[in-house]
Amino acid sequence: MWKFIVKNFLYSLLVIIGVITVTFALLYIVPGDPARMLLGQRADEESVKRVKEELGLDKPITTQYLNFIMKAAQGDLGRSYATNREVAAIIIEKFPATALLAISAMLLSSILGVIIGVISAIRSYSFTDNASMVFALFGISIPQFVFALLMALVFGSILKWLPISGYITDGWDHLILPMLTLALRPLAIIARITRSSMLDVLNQDYIRTAKAKGLSEMKVVFKHSLRNALTPVVTTLSASLAATLGGAFFIEFIFNWPGIGLLAIDSILKLDFPMIQGTVLFSAIIFVLINFLVDIIYAFLDPKVKLA
Amino acid sequence: MKAEITGNKNIQGKSLWYYSWKRLKKNKLAMAGLVIIFIMIFIALLADVISPYNPNDQILEFATKPVNFEGTVLLKKSDNNESGFDYLPINNFLREENDSVYYEDFNRTERSINTNELISPDRNEYLTRLNFLLGTDRFGRDVLSRLIYGSRVSLSVGLISESIAIIIGLILGALAGYFRGAADKGIMWLINVVWAFPSILFVIAISVVLGKGFWQAFVAIGLTAWVDIARIVRGQFFSLREMEYIEATKAMGANPARVIIRHILPNCLGPVIITGTVGLANAIIFEASLSFLGLGVQPPTASWGQMIFDGYKYIIAGTNWGLALFPSLAIMIAVFSVNLFGDGIRDALDPKLTK
Repeated sequence: MWKFIVKNFLYSLLVIIGVITVTFALLYIVPGDPARMLLGQRADEESVKRVKEELGLDKPITTQYLNFIMKAAQGDLGRSYATNREVAAIIIEKFPATALLAISAMLLSSILGVIIGVISAIRSYSFTDNASMVFALFGISIPQFVFALLMALVFGSILKWLPISGYITDGWDHLILPMLTLALRPLAIIARITRSSMLDVLNQDYIRTAKAKGLSEMKVVFKHSLRNALTPVVTTLSASLAATLGGAFFIEFIFNWPGIGLLAIDSILKLDFPMIQGTVLFSAIIFVLINFLVDIIYAFLDPKVKLA
Repeated sequence: MKAEITGNKNIQGKSLWYYSWKRLKKNKLAMAGLVIIFIMIFIALLADVISPYNPNDQILEFATKPVNFEGTVLLKKSDNNESGFDYLPINNFLREENDSVYYEDFNRTERSINTNELISPDRNEYLTRLNFLLGTDRFGRDVLSRLIYGSRVSLSVGLISESIAIIIGLILGALAGYFRGAADKGIMWLINVVWAFPSILFVIAISVVLGKGFWQAFVAIGLTAWVDIARIVRGQFFSLREMEYIEATKAMGANPARVIIRHILPNCLGPVIITGTVGLANAIIFEASLSFLGLGVQPPTASWGQMIFDGYKYIIAGTNWGLALFPSLAIMIAVFSVNLFGDGIRDALDPKLTK
């Protein structure tokens, strides 16, 4: 078991090094002089030179790259061009908002998604099933920013039921619209996967046996089928969680939710490169770490996973 | 003894594609999706013919008008315009007198213009009413025409970037799945690295680096989207290369390139097509998201994402919803029909569902 954990951990580290390399490469080829961007266009040559030395920009690319990795490993992601504050500190400050939004949305979408999927599967090819599946396909087809705008339009501007901008410090109702919007896509995906996975299970012999020996439908569905059908659902859910914990970009942007996603888009619009680099890196590392944890949990729970 | 099958076409085998297509044709939703995709492609190709007006013509006097707005204009001669005329929007046509046309402008003042400056002295030709079926944007441009031209950007970026993704994905997936070992380890590592980035943020970051524009958008999307294809192709190769017929081809002396291209690739096209349609739908969403942030095609070229961005301020203000709503609907219809079709192919290619 320990061997499995260590091996997976080392591989995750290897992926993270790749992630850092790509992030470094992305920003290295950006046109423009970082030192000048940090100081502004009117800075004199002397201070530009000094900052370049401070940031190590006068060194060859390999040294810069190694420096970048060493600094990133210590949690130093540089300073924001826009605010001159430490990138890592800002990210840590914004993370709780993103985590709250991601976790609440995932809870909602997993509960609703499984319920819709199960109902669709036991009433397969009925009107309810078709309607739910068209809804699910709609949920996958609508771009997040479009759905966010529609929600803001309907519940904010027309019905005026809910606030469309701000954080929970102004009241918990600020969470509702971003959460519903973020939940839609994973909800749709989970409903579809639960349905097809349930259909697979319901066709198995042991389910026929269970029915034949006179168990109630409820018992067959919930005790015998759902448990076995949930494995792919959990996989999807953990992938969604890993992706959204790195920030729900458009949703945070449109609802003005002060998390990593809003930070990322703001820094992109301001061309604040260290901040872009930091948020991209942070999201990717979160993704790798969550997947690492999920693999470990799987290995504990599912005897079929090979510990090789 | 040789079996006698010549001359009797009824028992000749038909390909998987034949049966899949037959099943696909029965799937009404999938066919509806396919028809809509074709209609959209037609609209995009024939935009010059179908579009009621030039999508970039601005009539500031007619800015942010509601659906089905009609406005009166005089057609003025123009040298620096392809169409050969400019619009002179007027509030009211008053009269023709001598060589001049008298009209009321938007400040309710009476003005006149010499008929020489108009495209023709004939009132039926120089005086016309413009009908904006879906209203106008803040520059007084026709929303319908911009929607029609916007379909070009969405579909072409979607198709081209997904093609790039499929090419990269096929090559890397095939190499990893066929050769395994170090090649597989290296490619899998690359896949996991790209996979780790949130795709939308990665697309945005790449286009920030490459600069704003049309080709940057599809390079950015293509560079991100290939991982899905590569994973599928690799998995298919893993199982297919163990099949006996592959062993047979190798025993007959076929080199790896021939085995890969002629014998394995055709057999994993099904999953690639399924993943490709999902990718196409996502690429359309990515393009719209990029344009929404102002990173995709640049103005004045019309694109749906940008139209939504322009219209979204009006949603917050609670007026002129159409400006954001119509392009949103267009994106949804496009993505929805691609997904419908993709789902249909998935069902049609699934041998488990054979009836």
